[in-house]
Amino acid sequence: MNAKLTDEAVALLPLDAGRAELLEEIMSTPVLSSPAPGTPTPPSRRARWLVPIAAAAAVAGIVAASIWGQGLLPGGGTSVATQPGGQPDHRAVLDAPGWAVTSTESGDDGYGEVNYENGDGQFTITWYPAASYASYVTDREHISDPPAAGEPVEVLGRSGQLWAYEATDHTVIREVEDGFWIEFRGSGIDKDEYLALLTRLRIVGSAGYEASLPESFVTDGERSAATASMLAGITAATGAEGPRGEPVRVDSNQQDPYQLGAAVAGAYACAWLEAYENAVTHDQTDLAAEAATVLGTSREWPILNEMNPRGDYPEVVWEYADTVGAGRVPEGYREGLGC
Amino acid sequence: VAQSLEERERAFRALYADHFDAVLGFALRRVDRAEDAGDVTADTFLVAWRRLAHVPPAPDTRPWLYGVARRVLANHRRGDRRRSTLGDRLKRELATSVPDASDQVVQQADVTAAMRRLSARDQEVLELHLWEGLESREIAEVLGLTTTAVRPRLSRARARLRDLLGNDSSPPGHLLNTHSKTPELTRKERR
Repeated sequence: MNAKLTDEAVALLPLDAGRAELLEEIMSTPVLSSPAPGTPTPPSRRARWLVPIAAAAAVAGIVAASIWGQGLLPGGGTSVATQPGGQPDHRAVLDAPGWAVTSTESGDDGYGEVNYENGDGQFTITWYPAASYASYVTDREHISDPPAAGEPVEVLGRSGQLWAYEATDHTVIREVEDGFWIEFRGSGIDKDEYLALLTRLRIVGSAGYEASLPESFVTDGERSAATASMLAGITAATGAEGPRGEPVRVDSNQQDPYQLGAAVAGAYACAWLEAYENAVTHDQTDLAAEAATVLGTSREWPILNEMNPRGDYPEVVWEYADTVGAGRVPEGYREGLGC
Repeated sequence: VAQSLEERERAFRALYADHFDAVLGFALRRVDRAEDAGDVTADTFLVAWRRLAHVPPAPDTRPWLYGVARRVLANHRRGDRRRSTLGDRLKRELATSVPDASDQVVQQADVTAAMRRLSARDQEVLELHLWEGLESREIAEVLGLTTTAVRPRLSRARARLRDLLGNDSSPPGHLLNTHSKTPELTRKERR
């Protein structure tokens, strides 16, 4: 592996000729798909990110496979068992005495993880779309020096490879099944304990997965009421629904109350931040003042205060609210909050 | 938006001049063989040339380029052994010059070794923070995630790295911080 050179050190490398030649080579290649001037920006953030992927794949002569988005899962039309949102419809859960779920996260790119703890021990189950399998195996092979395949193990009826980061830190990558692969990471426990936990895993469907989560986590059936309750807490603090009296809509499939809280508070904050930005742009002073008042109460929103010990999302909302309070539209708030 | 070929070339020359070192540095810090960074850099700028109208203006340009470079790199790692037909001279120059250049590094080998023990996602977020000097919002741009997802992950990854390096009195990162944008690892995190 190379030394991790700074950009300044890179600038000092004697590469002038190669650098200049590459520039001319690139500019002499035909522009295959020059978009017409004024081509509108694709509507969604994710769609925007898919553009360079397609271009990179074309440049590299590769048809397959990006880890970005279920739409590009390998094999083109390969059937993959997923739920809406790109999540697998079967998941591994840990069913062992003393071990409890502490957090979950699910992305809309098919990625997800569940964290368990038992005293100082940690066990994380992470699933990923199949496209990323090879690159992760390669990465894990570098745990050992020289790089090497992991110790063969069987987990939930499938082959896997086990690597040890140290005596109390192990990971297994299980091979791809139904378009997804799973990694099991155990820290703070020795190898025997780790191997014993691997025998306590179960594959479950959606209902089994939800049943494995703590009481405080939100199931599909509870989500509507939980969302309404979180929103009610916010509107009680602000005295306002969405801008112009319109109710705020929340679209989320998160189970972890922190993640769901971010979706709810984010939707509400986004609506008022957008209203503020529009009001400033169109010189609507009353609406701008109302938005600033609403956002100014954000430190009293119950859900943000509940979330605050677990992460930084509330601080991001408060930072933006303070910027509005100072009379400015916060830069990049849509991306910051996921509006 | 570059409209005529002349405007397009002028815009691309400026982009290349402003970001070449950063893109090459991004690639060099992530490959085993220096010449592979030449391939990643060539393909990244080729994408930028072909998609110039989609390249966002500053300050989003660099995260956009990092995002492209990241995907090009992923293709290389996935076993695409095809060598770019572009940049042969650059690759030859890299192969000879990089092994001798080691005086300005973003981090020492012990930190690199510790970072390998983080999960791949944590590792990637932390690398973008420590190596490229990006903040959560920019990291989110590169990875196509929201800051909501990145901030807690960055915070956890830094804490975990600090644990892995031990809580000695010396700064755990031992960062040779010649990269002015690179934040100090320790001071912010120590409470």
